[in-house]
Amino acid sequence: MKTLAQHTKDVPASRAFRPAVVFLPWVACVAVAFAVQLVAPALFDDYWVNVLRRVGVFVIAAVSLNIVNGITGQFSMGHAGFMAIGSYIGASTTYTGSLLLHGSVGDDSFAVQGTMLMLGGLVAGACAAAGAGYLVGLPSLRLRGDYLAIVTLGFGEIIRVLLELTSKQVDTADGARANPFAAFFSFNGPTGFFGTPAYASNFWIWLFVAITCVVAYRLKRSSSGRAFLSIREDEIAARAMGIDLTKYKVRAFVLAAAFGGVAGALFSHTGVNPSPTDAGFQRSFDIIIMVVLGGLGSISGSVLAAILLVLLPEMLRGLQEYRLVLYAVLLIVMMLVRPQGLFGVKEVWDLWGAKRKARGGTP
Amino acid sequence: MSTAPATLLEASDIGITFGGLKAVQGLSLRVPTGALHGLIGPNGAGKTTAFNLLTGVYQTQTGSVTLAGTTLSGKRPHEIALAGLSRTFQNIRLFGELSVLDNVMLGSHLRGTHRLIRTVFRTPAFVRQEEAMRERALELLGIFGLQGLAAEQAKSLPYGDQRRLEICRALATEPKVLLLDEPAAGMNPSEKKSLASTIRSIRERFGVAILLIEHDMGLVMDICEHITVLDHGQVISAGTPRFVQDDPKVIEAYLGVVEEEGTGNGERGTGKASLGKASAG
Ligand SMILES: Nc1ncnc2c1ncn2[C@@H]1O[C@H](COP(=O)(O)OP(=O)(O)OP(=O)(O)O)[C@@H](O)[C@H]1O
Ligand SMILES: [Mg+2]
Repeated sequence: MKTLAQHTKDVPASRAFRPAVVFLPWVACVAVAFAVQLVAPALFDDYWVNVLRRVGVFVIAAVSLNIVNGITGQFSMGHAGFMAIGSYIGASTTYTGSLLLHGSVGDDSFAVQGTMLMLGGLVAGACAAAGAGYLVGLPSLRLRGDYLAIVTLGFGEIIRVLLELTSKQVDTADGARANPFAAFFSFNGPTGFFGTPAYASNFWIWLFVAITCVVAYRLKRSSSGRAFLSIREDEIAARAMGIDLTKYKVRAFVLAAAFGGVAGALFSHTGVNPSPTDAGFQRSFDIIIMVVLGGLGSISGSVLAAILLVLLPEMLRGLQEYRLVLYAVLLIVMMLVRPQGLFGVKEVWDLWGAKRKARGGTP
Repeated sequence: MSTAPATLLEASDIGITFGGLKAVQGLSLRVPTGALHGLIGPNGAGKTTAFNLLTGVYQTQTGSVTLAGTTLSGKRPHEIALAGLSRTFQNIRLFGELSVLDNVMLGSHLRGTHRLIRTVFRTPAFVRQEEAMRERALELLGIFGLQGLAAEQAKSLPYGDQRRLEICRALATEPKVLLLDEPAAGMNPSEKKSLASTIRSIRERFGVAILLIEHDMGLVMDICEHITVLDHGQVISAGTPRFVQDDPKVIEAYLGVVEEEGTGNGERGTGKASLGKASAG
């Protein structure tokens, strides 16, 4: 039998490159972004258009957390910490950047440059979160189960406390120019960071939602994805098959953190002021619930669960104080009826395919 | 007999103690290229522990292990797999939620390159490797008659198929030596018979040496050229099947245990019966 290396060489070029499969998903990403941006205002009022932005942010958060909690099976409870890092770094990039380059923040005349700053902030936020993911992941991923959960929970709380200790926000151009570095990291302590312009329109948010989904799905359906999944299934067998557990766990952790950072950076550009409590366990739990509800390992499950769990409280608003009770009851019922989450490790379309197969249709 | 083939896997004086229990002690083994070696012994003799020492699940406390000249002892399990030692597990360890195909494809993971950028952008290099992994996996599944089950979840397979799938996955790692821990356990006689011929053909086809733990003496005596017998963590006999099954120490290890624990002990009784049958045949 040929070795994998030989076999790989012998795969014909015609099968190695299929442009439609390679490029269409990216085209779809842009299409989704435009669709949401253009269609939403026609169907909903401003309030709901804004809710859609929040939905998008949490879809990114849930899908990214799914990479580590679902696909790799490592129970991280500090995702909000990574989001908060992205939030603050992203917000400050735009805010402090605007002060330095333009002298003021949120000017209409500076909107294009501002949006560029936001995109830079997304990258910076993602990198910072990924770096934090690496620092936390490397030592703590040698821990198992409960211990990892505790360490990551602690990480989120540490980020929260550190953010509370930051100094007062620099809100003048002169102040920023005097010491740009200090200004950048002056996150305004417990009160939260104010005044970041809401450059993250539904277009940008849903563009990154789609990109995150494509990346996560392509990861899951690849050799790296199988390595992640094998770790979740059986660490001893995975090791025996040559999987470097530490390397792949850290990879999953860093990737999840990076996209968590993107989610956070986008969130702080939707008119929401990032505050230290955003890094706390409450927010982490919210995202974990989405991942578990959607099914550990199911990308589409995370998407649907995030949409559902952001919209539900909004829809139940009319019920006033009963809505939290109803929300809790709904979750309990879900977990009793489908403990593996909505879709388990499968995707929505897999279930549809299985049904078709069961009916005797062509596969 | 005439030409002694080069030693491929060599363990010299390896051992481990669990809280006073000498699970394996002073074990030395030499598996030549292309050999089919048996490792037998009563329950709790330390056979699985020996595999765990060879594959780095446990670190040996004494001695060393080498594979084709490179030292394995001290390396981590995934490095040992990469060096060319692959195994199956006595208590089947498949990736249950994954498909049969994915299980085997994962086996060839360690022989590939996995760049994040390639994965995300589905570059030709990535697709090529993925296709190659798939084709190899299907070919391997075909050899074991499992290709029709490729899309099934591994955990949904019947017991015998799960054992075959584990061998399949282990072979996908392109091993030099394959360690099989009781591959026939739970199989019916006809399955065992076909397993015996499969194991023989694997060796020819893949050029691997095989180290086999098995309680079914008929099977072991039938297919192995050389057998090492463990009892209470120590080698009590080693040699050809004919030599081993006539060795008084081996007979005593199997029979003696039966006497100690009474005749009601099914497992050991079977061991005795099979040994007797093999000597007769
Ligand atoms: N991790 C461990 N900790 C403590 N004791 C262990 C451990 N692993 C194995 N043992 C003990 O070492 C001895 C040898 O066990 P091992 O599993 O190697 O036997 P075996 O020859 O494979 O038996 P069987 O035929 O039943 O599979 C047993 O007494 C077992 O209880
Ligand atoms: Mg055993």
